[in-house]
Amino acid sequence: MGSEYRRDDGAGVAVAEEVARTCPHVTRLGPIGEPLDLLGLWDGADLAVVADAVRSGAEPGTVQLIELSEAAGTGQGSVGPPGTTSTHGIGLTGVLRLARAVGSAPRRVVVVGIEGSEFGNGVGLSPAVERAVPHAVGHVRDLVDPAG
Amino acid sequence: MTHGSGSHRTIAVEGLSRVEGEGSLRVDVRDGVVEDVALTIFEPPRFFEALLQGRAAAEAPDITARICGICPVAYQMSACAAVEDAVGVRVGHRVTALRRLLYCGEWIQSHALHIYLLHAPDFLGCADAVELAERDRAAVQRGLDLKKTGNLVMETVGGRAVHPVNVKVGGFYRAPDPADVAALAGPLERARDAALATVSWVAGFDFPDVEGEYRFVALRGDGRYPMESGRVTSSDGLDVTAGGFADRVVEEHVARSTALHARLDGRLEYLTGPLARYALNADQLPEVARRAAADAGLGPVCTNPFRSIVVRAVELVAACAEALRLVLAYEPPDPPAAPVGWRAGVGTGATEAPRGLLFHRYGLDDAGLITSARIVPPTSQNQLTIEADLRRVAQAGLALPDDQLTWRCEQAVRNHDPCISCAAHFLDVTVVHR
Repeated sequence: MGSEYRRDDGAGVAVAEEVARTCPHVTRLGPIGEPLDLLGLWDGADLAVVADAVRSGAEPGTVQLIELSEAAGTGQGSVGPPGTTSTHGIGLTGVLRLARAVGSAPRRVVVVGIEGSEFGNGVGLSPAVERAVPHAVGHVRDLVDPAG
Repeated sequence: MTHGSGSHRTIAVEGLSRVEGEGSLRVDVRDGVVEDVALTIFEPPRFFEALLQGRAAAEAPDITARICGICPVAYQMSACAAVEDAVGVRVGHRVTALRRLLYCGEWIQSHALHIYLLHAPDFLGCADAVELAERDRAAVQRGLDLKKTGNLVMETVGGRAVHPVNVKVGGFYRAPDPADVAALAGPLERARDAALATVSWVAGFDFPDVEGEYRFVALRGDGRYPMESGRVTSSDGLDVTAGGFADRVVEEHVARSTALHARLDGRLEYLTGPLARYALNADQLPEVARRAAADAGLGPVCTNPFRSIVVRAVELVAACAEALRLVLAYEPPDPPAAPVGWRAGVGTGATEAPRGLLFHRYGLDDAGLITSARIVPPTSQNQLTIEADLRRVAQAGLALPDDQLTWRCEQAVRNHDPCISCAAHFLDVTVVHR
């Protein structure tokens, strides 16, 4: 998820491109700018891995694996506001709650997040985020193909 | 958030929920009169216009498609129309039909999303779509199924459900396989029926009794409801080409917003989008949509902004019916794109994004590189009218308690489905240690 025209917001897009390029049997769906677009694309999946830029206060380039648990889906958890105000029509946790309410949610959702620092208009990741991309790609590969 | 003292009352919403992108609104009331309203939006400044300069015009459709996550096809279609106008390319009717089919896919998914997930909760007293889904799962499921059909059309024609990659100046990289297109007929028939059910559903909502005074501006279709082409017309007699329209629209900076505010002929505010399209083109709706509009009690013109949800639902029927017609008549364009010879020139393209008129203007040099770019999205054209609506709605609702008036004002903004997009999409993360 993200936009490659908003600097580090393109981190998720860069990760997805690299995963699609190097992993067999992978179809690239994005870039997805709006979490609502996940509805219909991830329906009924065993596992959905969302690669995205995050802002948590950690060092830029820090890679985090964030499991969106049942609790997160009800607004008690750790990622973002519970589906209200957000840069999107509905945020990721809100979309997950919605998918759960209609019974189409993936069984498990994991966010592979890269801490960003530059989110202004422009192209190109900041150096720390650029260096973190292969690390995040490794996490995605481990999640998708643990035996790999 | 609301606060006030004595006769001064302020309604302020720092982050507007259920609006694409980011925005805030502020209403100042003094002595029982709305004194000032401001819709502050964070639109991409002219970043993309600057980015395009020096790039090949052939790249314009794909670069500008990334401006908006909800309506990439609109950006692609307006970019293609502008570049083709600049270099004098005329596309054949098969390419036009396929573009229209792709555009229908976007209208279906965008309108379904807005009606069901962003707008309907306002009328049903739900905080958001999640609460609505918990209360009426079948309704939300119908909306999601409609959105899915829109995505399917976009995937079949555009190569991807989310960001179509098959569009190029002159037409398409590849004509979709006829069997794949034919397979859309079943889902589209079901979508049309779901869209009809949508009209009945939203027509039963309670609407505040507010009438706007609008100067409507929309493309006028040539025998069909406008999407990918047409002349720019208005409710007070304007009838010009896209280029003639662009000459008359002036945008101005307002300190509180990074978006530009558009005025027609330098002074008049105007409204684009479903209410405008409907008022200027109701006679061109497919028969099934026209009947649905009549059954829903819509007259030839709708000026209650809250009832825009009904008009949007009628357009949803129109998009499904139109997509079905195009699917059944599909003939693969061969070649899939008209040849393009690069030359210097200036061109303008205007198409109807789900939210309203979107026009692009490019200057090209003789190698086909972009020397100037101007992109005017629907929201910047609608901004002054949305503020006028806010003023009217706030004034009419002054007797309401603060929380209800705040909600009513938020609704007044959502009525026009403003796209304040292109904000960054990172996740804000707060780690809670237990």
